[in-house]
Amino acid sequence: MLRLLSSSFLSAILATSAAAEGTLTVFANGEELATEGFKAPALTRDGWDLQFDHIYVTLAGVTAMQTNTPYDAAAGGTPDAKTTVTFDDAEQLTIDLTDTDADGRVRIGSIDAPEGHYNAVTWSIVPAETGDWAGQSMVLIGTATRDGETVDFTLTSADGHDYTCGEYVGDDRKGFVATGSEADLELTFHLDHVFGRADREATDSMNRLALGFDAFASGGTQEIALSGLHVGHVGEGHCAVSLR
Amino acid sequence: MSVMSVRVIVLSACAKHLIAGLVMLVLAGPATAHGAFLDVAEVDAIRIQARYDTGEVMGNAQVAVFPPDDPAQPWLVGQTDATGHFVFTPDDRTGRWAVQVREAGHGAIGYVEVGANGTTTITQGSAGLTWAQRLLMIACVVWGAIGTALYFRRPRPTKAA
Repeated sequence: MLRLLSSSFLSAILATSAAAEGTLTVFANGEELATEGFKAPALTRDGWDLQFDHIYVTLAGVTAMQTNTPYDAAAGGTPDAKTTVTFDDAEQLTIDLTDTDADGRVRIGSIDAPEGHYNAVTWSIVPAETGDWAGQSMVLIGTATRDGETVDFTLTSADGHDYTCGEYVGDDRKGFVATGSEADLELTFHLDHVFGRADREATDSMNRLALGFDAFASGGTQEIALSGLHVGHVGEGHCAVSLR
Repeated sequence: MSVMSVRVIVLSACAKHLIAGLVMLVLAGPATAHGAFLDVAEVDAIRIQARYDTGEVMGNAQVAVFPPDDPAQPWLVGQTDATGHFVFTPDDRTGRWAVQVREAGHGAIGYVEVGANGTTTITQGSAGLTWAQRLLMIACVVWGAIGTALYFRRPRPTKAA
């Protein structure tokens, strides 16, 4: 089902610039914390082992840009875009960060794009309009374990957020589209910003802000407030985030 | 609410006060390589400081420097020092140099525009600086003299017997 949604979403890709000389693919990535879970020593900040069955995220307005001036997410504002390739804003795409390719990523789509360096990306997390989890923007379903106690959980968030990000930061620089070649970008979801990590100092600012799992230890379906946690990144690079 | 983020401060250095680098170890000759001496040059450089928005510096973090004409391939890799600083001297290529710093799953990238006349402009990563500092950086004319006007050459010592 997700793949069908993805295919239809791809067809809605629009390029606002004239020339199309290469291919740009956008992926989402929840990293190992999504696919492998929070395992020792990388337990949650309060010591829970988490395994996820599904992590549904509904995206909209995924847009990649070449900017005149590199976008500074810390300063915020709007990217100074000279070339923009974007999905149709009317469409939504619900992905599952646990349903990945061999590289641990979820392919969002590809587009013929003018050559150049796509050094900024924007997207939104929005409540799904349809489906089993309509009205929810993120749904995390899984099992938590600590000290012999096992808890099945479903955490739902209806929060909508707009992300504006600069260049991807990671092992390689990304987004260089050349004629006849392929390039990619990545929307990266840092789940440790939600649950924290036991293998980091308690004073680490991520751990100070993260919710941990104790608050959800009663299990079942519960709401989770993700505002202010800055789940979305571009690799290791941060984004400017605003609540919808 | 404060969030964890990373910023890179890119500092352009004017002449003497930041670096006295480019230390070259030169062997006396291919056949009788038992004499050694130094050519010591004073050059201009780019200095970055990487830190989190909490103020904590990114010490011993991975650094990669990317040149303007081959921006996907690192031209130089290294590490910040304990205070989050890293200093490098670009070659004569003009355009946008990028400096990426990563540590423990967090990273940032900053940029320096090097012009044909040797001027440098910080295009990102200067947050946290005063306007006076920014103006000073922009005013710095640095690269035209690299290897020439500021290059010192000590007299070559007589080859040891």
